[in-house]
Amino acid sequence: MKNSQDGIWIGGKDLNHDPEFIQEAQKEVQIASLQNTVNTVGDETIANEADSSRRDFLKYLGFGLGAATVAASCEIPVNRAIPYVVKPEVIVPGVATYYASTYVKGGEYCPVLVKTREGRPIKIEGNALSPITGGGTSARAQASVLDLYDVNRLKAPQVAEDDGFASASWDDLMSSVGSALNSGSRIRIVSNTILSPSFKSLISEFSAKYPNTKLVQYDPVSISALLDANDKSFGERVVPDYKFDKADYIVSFNADFLGTWISPIEYSKAYSTKRKIKSVKGASMSRHVQVESHMSMTGSNADHRILVKPSEQSSAVAYLYNQVLGGNVGTAGLTAKAKKGLQKVAQQLIAHKGHAIVVSGNNNLGEQLLINAINNHLGNYGNTIGFTHASMQRQGSDSDMAALVAEMNAGRVDVIIIHDANPVYDYFNGAAFAAGLEKVGSKIALAYRHNETTTLCNVIAPIHHGLESWGDAEAKKGQISIIQPTIHPLFDTKQAEEVFMALAGSRFVDDEQPYFSYLRSKWSQAVGASGFTSTDAMVDEILREGLVNAGGGPELSFSGISVSEASNALVRPSSGDALEISFQEPVSIGNGVHANNPWLQEMPDPVTRTTWGNYLAVPVEFDGVKKFIGYKKLKDGDLVKLTIGEKTMTVPVIQQFGQMPGTVSLAMGYGRENGGFATQGIGVNVNDSLTVVDNYGQYFATNVSVENTGREEENFSCVQYHHTMGVTSADKNGELMNADEAALAPGYGNVFAGFQGALVERSILRKSNLNHLEEEVDHLIHEREHFEELNQQTLYPYDQYTEELYSQGHHWGMHVDLTACTGCSACTIACMAENNVPVVGKDKVAIHQEMSWLRIDRYYFGDVENPNTVYQPLMCQHCDNAPCENVCPVNATNHSSEGLNQMTYNRCIGTRYCANNCPYKVRRFNWNDFTTADIFPANQVKVNGENLPFGADNLTRMVLNPDVTVRSRGVIEKCSFCVQRIQEGKLTAKMERRKLTDLDVKTACQTACPTGAITFGDMNNKKAEVTKKMNSPMTYAVLEEVNVRPSVMYSMKVLNKDENFDA
Amino acid sequence: MICKSLIYKSLIGIFFLGLSLNISAEVSPDDGKALFRSKCATCHNKNMKSNSTGPALGGVQERWIDYPESDLYAWIRNSQALIATGHPRANEVYVQYNKSAMTAFPDLTDDDIGSLLAYINGVYDGTYGAVAGSVAVVGDAQAQEKGIGGWLYWILFAVLLLFAFILTRIIGNLNYLAAEKDGQSYQRKTVLETLTSKGVISFILFGLVVLGAYTAASNAINLGRQQGYAPEQPIKFSHATHAGVNQIDCKYCHDGARRSKHSVIPATNTCINCHSAIKYGSEYGTAELTKIYASIGYLPKGTGEYIPNYDKLSLDEKKEIYTGWMLENTIENDEDFEVVTDDLLDEIDNQWDDIVTSLTSDHRPKINGEVNIEGPIEWVRIHNLPDHVYFNHAQHVTVGGLDCQTCHGKVEEMEVVAQYSPLSMGWCINCHRQTQVQFAGNEYYESYTKYHDEIEAGAREGMTVEDIGGLECQKCHY
Repeated sequence: MKNSQDGIWIGGKDLNHDPEFIQEAQKEVQIASLQNTVNTVGDETIANEADSSRRDFLKYLGFGLGAATVAASCEIPVNRAIPYVVKPEVIVPGVATYYASTYVKGGEYCPVLVKTREGRPIKIEGNALSPITGGGTSARAQASVLDLYDVNRLKAPQVAEDDGFASASWDDLMSSVGSALNSGSRIRIVSNTILSPSFKSLISEFSAKYPNTKLVQYDPVSISALLDANDKSFGERVVPDYKFDKADYIVSFNADFLGTWISPIEYSKAYSTKRKIKSVKGASMSRHVQVESHMSMTGSNADHRILVKPSEQSSAVAYLYNQVLGGNVGTAGLTAKAKKGLQKVAQQLIAHKGHAIVVSGNNNLGEQLLINAINNHLGNYGNTIGFTHASMQRQGSDSDMAALVAEMNAGRVDVIIIHDANPVYDYFNGAAFAAGLEKVGSKIALAYRHNETTTLCNVIAPIHHGLESWGDAEAKKGQISIIQPTIHPLFDTKQAEEVFMALAGSRFVDDEQPYFSYLRSKWSQAVGASGFTSTDAMVDEILREGLVNAGGGPELSFSGISVSEASNALVRPSSGDALEISFQEPVSIGNGVHANNPWLQEMPDPVTRTTWGNYLAVPVEFDGVKKFIGYKKLKDGDLVKLTIGEKTMTVPVIQQFGQMPGTVSLAMGYGRENGGFATQGIGVNVNDSLTVVDNYGQYFATNVSVENTGREEENFSCVQYHHTMGVTSADKNGELMNADEAALAPGYGNVFAGFQGALVERSILRKSNLNHLEEEVDHLIHEREHFEELNQQTLYPYDQYTEELYSQGHHWGMHVDLTACTGCSACTIACMAENNVPVVGKDKVAIHQEMSWLRIDRYYFGDVENPNTVYQPLMCQHCDNAPCENVCPVNATNHSSEGLNQMTYNRCIGTRYCANNCPYKVRRFNWNDFTTADIFPANQVKVNGENLPFGADNLTRMVLNPDVTVRSRGVIEKCSFCVQRIQEGKLTAKMERRKLTDLDVKTACQTACPTGAITFGDMNNKKAEVTKKMNSPMTYAVLEEVNVRPSVMYSMKVLNKDENFDA
Repeated sequence: MICKSLIYKSLIGIFFLGLSLNISAEVSPDDGKALFRSKCATCHNKNMKSNSTGPALGGVQERWIDYPESDLYAWIRNSQALIATGHPRANEVYVQYNKSAMTAFPDLTDDDIGSLLAYINGVYDGTYGAVAGSVAVVGDAQAQEKGIGGWLYWILFAVLLLFAFILTRIIGNLNYLAAEKDGQSYQRKTVLETLTSKGVISFILFGLVVLGAYTAASNAINLGRQQGYAPEQPIKFSHATHAGVNQIDCKYCHDGARRSKHSVIPATNTCINCHSAIKYGSEYGTAELTKIYASIGYLPKGTGEYIPNYDKLSLDEKKEIYTGWMLENTIENDEDFEVVTDDLLDEIDNQWDDIVTSLTSDHRPKINGEVNIEGPIEWVRIHNLPDHVYFNHAQHVTVGGLDCQTCHGKVEEMEVVAQYSPLSMGWCINCHRQTQVQFAGNEYYESYTKYHDEIEAGAREGMTVEDIGGLECQKCHY
């Protein structure tokens, strides 16, 4: 068996043809585990239900009916219709109102449009006018609306008492804070990166009143070294403007720029413009090389990955520096293969002078200086990297933080104000910070919810959610966006700025909306210059668009680096073959910042496909013959004892292809002690295991050992092997065959082999390398012709049906560009928000009961030790010849004249025949009552043992989309192509008496996507974008050979691999 | 022979029943009512007791008793002409009402005027059926109609039963005769034996089961449906007055119907648009109108003003403000009360109590332990669609061009709004099957090219909602 696979695979079990996996894949849910949980659900134990007799069943049935009748007593409840007293002019009940605002969380940034219904924000859309994101969003931006309705929010000011906290009034709180401050007190403000120029000027006003004040910014995941290096090389401590849309050659050292690094939405958008194939002839795309040890989301999208141990990253950068500039910096360690790869990279970088970008995500000053020198040598500055619109999205300083910790521990801080940050948990030296806090007199936390830091403070001022706040954000120099409130504050909270205004004695403090007055007065200074006649006119315009263009900064020039300084700052790799571990910020919850958001917790990690917790990724070794074995023979879900330095913890394992041998990796952000209900008992905390070099936190550790405990994770909530399709298996002779085939004809050998619908090589993914694109496209066309020929062998006059049904009106279709999809999962969260998809919790995910309508399948191909990856967003394919429809005994799922596969919940009786018959496995069954409509609590789903099931409380329910039915227990649901949006778009066109255009109907996943990978539209409209894409020769249908005629089409994944790279 | 006479009699019965339905008694006050609504109601108060723009009409004949009846008729037809003749009474009234001329109605016949006067007198005396009863009358008529349908079935059933009985007897007799002829002995069944035979009993049982199942099913289908539901509302708002008499367009208040899924219960400030000028209700005086004012804190004195710091006032202070105004306003407008009497004070007190009760809600937090009468008025929702049904008013009103009455019935005649349609799925579906899409001039529908071609070729008359997918599940359920 060779080292490279022609086909695709999803994991080790798949490659090994693990019988367990094949069995599992054929079941919709794990029945054994299902029974276990049913019997022990909640606190109650249902006594041996499996043993009950039919007579019992009838008894319960009779009693249940009687009870329900008595309970309902057939009386119709009196409903009230409550109108406005004075109706705001802009609100029409039943029609959504959109407001331009901005999602900001520390340095995370996304200009958004907030969809509100009857005054409630229910959905986040990207602001397409933004020059930075162009309407793209991220999973976190999408999920931020759920944070607004967080049940763990602080609802009133709190003051510390002997045992815990007591609620207080704002007046008490402000007076107690005010009395703690005096002109001599040494005040320190700790915050994550502040993007708001107005807030910063407010802090300087505060500092003017209290001169001994210092603002210390840090980031939960630090890139302080990058900023410091730029300070040294360019004289300004900023992140440059990386223009991935101008780069033909991208080299990234451990920077997850598509997933988490600095500005992932912006970078994804720019990156994909150079990766999308416009036409098959003369196609071109950028080449992307990722240097890393673990498989990051960005690495999974790269053409080449060079595997380098975390501690050898410095050497790798130095090696590249030497190769490009001819330097002589020490490069200890590094495998021969990595060296060869880096040599190739150096040659190609030189060939792409002025059109390349080299970035590093490592928090090491030396590396960053060398990277600057490389970029400068290649002439990238001014071309692919600029400073006019330098990014402000990371401003944290590790040295400031270290100084603060030292000050605190020395007792030289009187007052500390912690603004919406959690340094005790997410600062890499959190323990020292916590120790220092004890020596500070007044500890004031401006916090959204309790966390590890607030519990150590005296006074907690609850702050608004971004959707309740005013504000501005300058993410990139000169590109300002506005934050405006979209709902009246839900609780007795204030926005942090107001607290500072009150303390600084601002003149606006008695206004109804003090901070708005403050912002307005700032904006009004620009009225004359902006060409507006009045401040009101300007404010209206600013708020309408949500964006202000304020020019930009100067281009900066490179002033050279000191090679010896850089060289001295590099990490010296640990000698020998010791196991190393790297830590990453997960795409979903960041470094714990979003941990209390159940949508994000349940979002599978793009690469490992795990949910609800962190899993130790271990490398998979190939025995050279047949088997793929996890490191130390560890299998998915095995619990291991992980020792990092002196700390030990027990974590579950996930086998990870592409993980460098000799390394493991683990996500940060989990193991919270006080992070809210969704974080309880989930994962382990690794923030205290980070190495610190020259005050810079290093996201790896070298003194690591892993030991099998022999136990297995109870709730192994990885969706990797759930809802798989086209599973292959090996027959007695080791020949590949379709697993379903084996199931269909047990004991009949290969009698059924080759019949249509059971082909071994299922057409799920199409992939090509750029240099073979034309051949592959020809091959695809040929194969599709063959499929069409097969599909024509039918008794049904399919063409006639098509002609009759879809030749007029609309025929909805979707196109997904697999080359553009980076796997970021913004679409999955957008889908959950739009369609009221419930959160099921860890134990239910473990037994295949996740409800997501849109899943992103992740497949590997190529080199088994260092594979390439394809992400395939998979939702209901709305087959025009749908196998689910004709098996439904009650016609609950049927086809519309517009090509929609309709699901009618009220008709559904839960036979699940449709789910069984779906070749794409996209139908989801409501095994439990996620909405508490059911009168039996045992049927209700709890997330982490909360008394009320998640999402059933009135606060969380405010996020529900009123246009989409909330499904009850016992019905099937699935992607509806956002039918509510289709209907709304059609209605708008009808009311305006015009033709429907592409702009009228966009699905939630489509609008969320930062790279524009998803296109939706009316295939009957010849001018529609989707029609054009459907007609592209690169387009194919998944499982086209089974003749289900899906309405979702995919376009081939194209990579730009250099085939001589490893030669 | 018995049966013949039975059929004959029952047919006669049916005939008479049918006849009684078709009888239309001469009810001139009803004609008068229609005339009053179309011609007089814009200026004259419909309670006939209070002045409006024009004088209260009650007792008009007594006031003209000194003159021949023809003068009154002439006055009604064209008042200016009568004034020009120098008629003393005419001039007196003209001066009394600030010399504002009444519109001329030259096409009114004597019968018309007679009807009008009959209606006016009837309302004034209270002898003309209470207006609120009109809905009930309609209901009764429907019930009667249903009853007749039911009776017909019972009669038919009885007739068939009788036939069956007679036939059994005849068959028995024939069998007996045949047996006699063949010389066999034949035991004739008695009536009792026939009735208790296996066949009859099992037939009856079968019938009962079918009937039971049918009743259960139809009742189950009707569970949760509330056609005819006409709950009492916190305010006795009369659509008959607003939409009927005053002919306010439905969509003036329910403005959401044009552009939203909801027709929208109007906000209280919408009421103030008109009721800043109209301060005395035709039916209830100040009793109901003050509820609007008190819920929003509007004092309709003079040009009207919103009471400053209304939310800070105690309930007693609010009471003082509003009862004071109610008292003044009643004396000014109601001829029954000319000075402050104990009766009037009692009346105002009762009215205030009712206002507080109507505006009190469990949902509103109390203020200083007192009930809070400020805030939205909590109407009882009449049209309740289940959550899983998506219905959009704009689609039907703006795009489909439907009249509100199509689904809501003649709301302009309802004193208390009742649910007119069953709002069942079958009802929706039937309408979608029958209704033609208003596609003319709407470019959106041009995408239905095949249908347009067929219409052009004459093969199709138009397209119904069903033709463009109006029966598909996900048009309404998602």
